[in-house]
Amino acid sequence: MNKLWMDKRNIALLIAPGLVFILGFVLLPTAVALYLSFTNFDGVDYQTFNLSNYKDIFLHDPIFWRALRNSIFLGLALVVLQHPFAVLMAMLTTYAGKWERPLRVIIFIPAIISTFVTSQMWVSLLNVQFGLVNRMLTAVGLSSWKQDWLGNPDIAIYSIIFVAMWQGFGYAYLLYYAGIKGVPSELKEAAIVDGATKWRYNKSIVLPLLSPIIRINLVLAVVSGFKQMETVFLMTGGGPANSTQFLGTYLYSKAFRDGLFGYGNAISVLFIVFCLVMTLIMNRLLKKDVGEF
Amino acid sequence: MGASTSTRFGARSSRVLLFLGLAIVAFLSIFPLVWMVNFSLLKSGDFFGSNVLKWPDPFQWVNYKNAFTLGHVHAYLLNSVIVAVVVITVTVIVSLMLSYVIARMDWKWNVYLSGLVMVCLIVPIYSTLLPNFFIFNKIHLIDNYFSLILPNIAFLIPLSVFIFIGFLQTTPRAIEEAAVIDGLSLIGVVFRIIMPISKPVIASVGVLAFLNTWNEFIMAITYISSDNYKTLPFSLIQFTGQYASNYGAQFAVMTLIALPLVVLYMLFTDRITNSLTAGAVKG
Repeated sequence: MNKLWMDKRNIALLIAPGLVFILGFVLLPTAVALYLSFTNFDGVDYQTFNLSNYKDIFLHDPIFWRALRNSIFLGLALVVLQHPFAVLMAMLTTYAGKWERPLRVIIFIPAIISTFVTSQMWVSLLNVQFGLVNRMLTAVGLSSWKQDWLGNPDIAIYSIIFVAMWQGFGYAYLLYYAGIKGVPSELKEAAIVDGATKWRYNKSIVLPLLSPIIRINLVLAVVSGFKQMETVFLMTGGGPANSTQFLGTYLYSKAFRDGLFGYGNAISVLFIVFCLVMTLIMNRLLKKDVGEF
Repeated sequence: MGASTSTRFGARSSRVLLFLGLAIVAFLSIFPLVWMVNFSLLKSGDFFGSNVLKWPDPFQWVNYKNAFTLGHVHAYLLNSVIVAVVVITVTVIVSLMLSYVIARMDWKWNVYLSGLVMVCLIVPIYSTLLPNFFIFNKIHLIDNYFSLILPNIAFLIPLSVFIFIGFLQTTPRAIEEAAVIDGLSLIGVVFRIIMPISKPVIASVGVLAFLNTWNEFIMAITYISSDNYKTLPFSLIQFTGQYASNYGAQFAVMTLIALPLVVLYMLFTDRITNSLTAGAVKG
């Protein structure tokens, strides 16, 4: 209709800055990572250009696979434990009357605080000597359950997963809460008139209406489990004995601790590939569940 | 709300269970933070008692003084503010411009453009740490504000664009068309018409950008080494390294960083809630 909306110069002007950022700081580094992943770059120089990094990762690096397994494990934990619980709590909150708002605010507070604060806080809470967790166990007579929560290689990963869930719970909860609040009130009134119990109303009306939101959030949950880095980086740095290594922390320690820049970049590339694949799989898996409303 | 006393769910016993469950979750969410604040006011020696919480006697305000002096809180805070302000401003403007093209303009490449933005949404920021470190090193961008500002903006653009597009698709074009007929240029349309009417969405994108930048630290510790450009997270890192045994001051730093955000959140709960749910709830 109007030439202004088709004018090439206008288009170029409007998209140029955005494209510069995306190309320069997301796609260019990705391309550079791909290039360096074929070298033995050590931060200064490189001599070779071959597939040896990838060969080493796939054939001789159990820690990489452990990092990948931990990433998947966290994603699954979020899907199986955190999200169903978040949906339930969000539903219950809508029946809390005058407590509804305060509850919503309180439950979200952990998510608003920086990871670098909450991680450090949990390091202290899980401290062997003065940590609250061990002290609580003593207080309720379970001192035999006391643990070195972050120092024991068999247990540290569960502690990390717990903290990641604690940190992210408020956000998951809030998304579902907002979704439930978006359900048209006529539906609720109609359900009440028809004599549906609250249980029935939530199960047969709210939950189906919520399913697009659930779908998106499960995709996000798996991908965020996959992308996990901050909490681990600050709490254990991947230790003890690499038991809490994730892809993000592993590429970091390979590059900056061991000076294996090329190897680190190869992990970066695989990291991106796995995130893409994971997103595609999740989208595909969940697409079928959504009915029509 | 809650008027339907006749339903089975409303029975007294289930109400008790309901509140018990919610109370436990609320308690688990908030209590670690109460503990943190409590510790920030204790003497370091008081940590090792058997009580779960101990009344600070006297209040150790000196921990907060130490936090400021040893943790450089004020200098790092200023750097965080500088980075956040620039990131928010640029992210909003650039994303709005980009979204306008995708949502409104007749361009055959729009499909590919939004596909490109979508792919950037999936790329994890950590996978660009090493290559960016290398690139910034080459072009002498390492260890200054730009090494934090530029990638932060780049990674905020995709989500912001989707939020803006979602909004633009629900707004009618009539005003823009009228303005164009009156002789306004397209850039004028974007900044004098679209920008004012999308204030609520701009606020959402701004809050999102603020939280992300404020809480970012892995790029900061990777790219920044000189004191002049360090951001807030370094105050805390300072205490986990150099002053590892000064727990009181460490907890004070943590409280100092956490508290403003909590207060801000309490003041603007609805605004922030809308912002954070804007992208994901609409689907």
